[in-house]
Amino acid sequence: MRGTGDEADEGWAIDRGELLELVVESAADFAIFTTDPDGIVTSWNTGAERLVGYTEEEMLGRPADAIFVPEDRASGAPEQERRMAVAEGRAIDERWHLRRDGTRFWGSGLLMPLREGDTLRGFAKIVRDRTEHHLVGERLRESEARFRLLARSIPQLVFATRGNGDRTWGSPQWCDFTGLSEPDSLGYGWLDAVHQDDREATVEAWQVAPTAGEYYVEHRVFRAADGTYRWHQTRAKPLVDSGVGGEWVGTSTDIHEIRGLQERQQVLLAELQHRTRNLLAVVQAIAHQTRRTSGSLDDFEVEFENRLRALSRVQGLLPHAERGVVDLRTLVEAELAALGGNTDIAGKVTVGGPTVGLPAGAIQALALALHELATNAVKYGALGQPSGKLTVTWRVAAESDQSWVELDWREAGVRMPPAGTPRRRGYGSELIERALRYQLRARTRLDFRNDGVRCSISIPVPANEGGRP
Amino acid sequence: MTTRKSDGLQERRVLVVEDDYLIASSLAGTLETHGAEVIGPAASVQEALQLMAGEARLDAAVLDVNLAGDRVYRVADALLARDVPFAFATGYDAWIIPDVYAGVPRMEKPVDPEALIRTLAAEVARRA
Repeated sequence: MRGTGDEADEGWAIDRGELLELVVESAADFAIFTTDPDGIVTSWNTGAERLVGYTEEEMLGRPADAIFVPEDRASGAPEQERRMAVAEGRAIDERWHLRRDGTRFWGSGLLMPLREGDTLRGFAKIVRDRTEHHLVGERLRESEARFRLLARSIPQLVFATRGNGDRTWGSPQWCDFTGLSEPDSLGYGWLDAVHQDDREATVEAWQVAPTAGEYYVEHRVFRAADGTYRWHQTRAKPLVDSGVGGEWVGTSTDIHEIRGLQERQQVLLAELQHRTRNLLAVVQAIAHQTRRTSGSLDDFEVEFENRLRALSRVQGLLPHAERGVVDLRTLVEAELAALGGNTDIAGKVTVGGPTVGLPAGAIQALALALHELATNAVKYGALGQPSGKLTVTWRVAAESDQSWVELDWREAGVRMPPAGTPRRRGYGSELIERALRYQLRARTRLDFRNDGVRCSISIPVPANEGGRP
Repeated sequence: MTTRKSDGLQERRVLVVEDDYLIASSLAGTLETHGAEVIGPAASVQEALQLMAGEARLDAAVLDVNLAGDRVYRVADALLARDVPFAFATGYDAWIIPDVYAGVPRMEKPVDPEALIRTLAAEVARRA
């Protein structure tokens, strides 16, 4: 311990000098050096040696500007820094610097003037290597910039939020799409763009999101451009580093079209199932009714298979019927052609009539009736006898509010069974006289004349359908 | 055709609503075979409602869902209002049918004749 104040001051002065030197030398992470007023190095610590690569001997008496990169030297950065330090009492030095070996480091430091009274004696500079820190920050800024760029360039509406739905940022697309400004979207303001009926589900989804580790909801989002709501799929996840309690990033994707397609697909699938099962029910009914009218199992097999084939042929036409393009002629010719394999009908048959688009609902029943007429004509009528002729004609008759397609099936030159023979009114009769009337509201007439069968079938079609192919 | 006296549809008046003639006559045939009296069949909503209006007594009904593009639900509602038990015989999956008919049995086409009788008889017995 020193006894007097003077001694103490003097001792302190000495100690302080030593202490300062000690600090400067041991501050190995800091480059600390001094220069004269012109920037010529007057001291150079170990940290400076380590950071920059020059020894004290190499630097003493040389311009400290050597640690500036050439482009900064050329632009006069060292002089500017000194002027700034003189004027402001300090100058911040944040820039790339040059090592002895030519490599660069990001230095962060201060330049301070050293004065004695009013006289500038030189400068002290302290610089720390912040290269890693700088690069990390730079990468972060780049990454952030990339994210923003991505967020601005993808069609999705991107947002940043807290894990409870409290929004902190929204991409410009969100604002453009919804018409909500960014300030109005922050917090829970974005909910205003969600359809009223979907808000509850939207908020509830945020309540379970932290537990689930992700947010997912499908909801309608207002589109300012046309004032409609569009279905969006909104998802969000917490940033990996920050966990569920930190920042989340999410997107809203327009799934309106997909949703519409899915709904249509579901309806189509349901229709398809309905049709398939209905068709099976028709097959079941045909089997049941064919069995009732068949004399033997062999008869059943032949008739049932023929009817199935007729049913199958018409299934091929039904898709076209949806577009209203199944012409009656197609149907008639398909049934007659189906006989072609084992019957020579060329020269026996005349087919004629205008182009008529049949209603989809009429096609199957009509095809089955025509099948029975054709089959019977081969078995008992015009197509089975040498002198027989068949004429199938049709026309469209327009009435005030609807049209009728009138088909005439006329067999001639047929030797009919003698009068008085009990006539079996078979499946064909049932289809023509009952099924077509029941199902299509058709007017039908089936006559067994002396020279052959005559059948007329009038099917109602909407007034604007008649005659259209 | 034999009539089975043991069936629960003996002398029951059953409305058949089905737009396809072949299926309708099959359903009607099955019901008649089991001793029921068939009302109809009706091929459209309008026809079914007209038939219902003219029938003081109906014990049960079997309804197709799609009648030439129209849905049968107005008939279903009229039956519910009259407390007449019925079942759907349809090619549609259950989800197509509105929830209000959740309690109505749905038979899938092609309908098993045994199931048709069993289902309708059970519905009739439940009201008895």
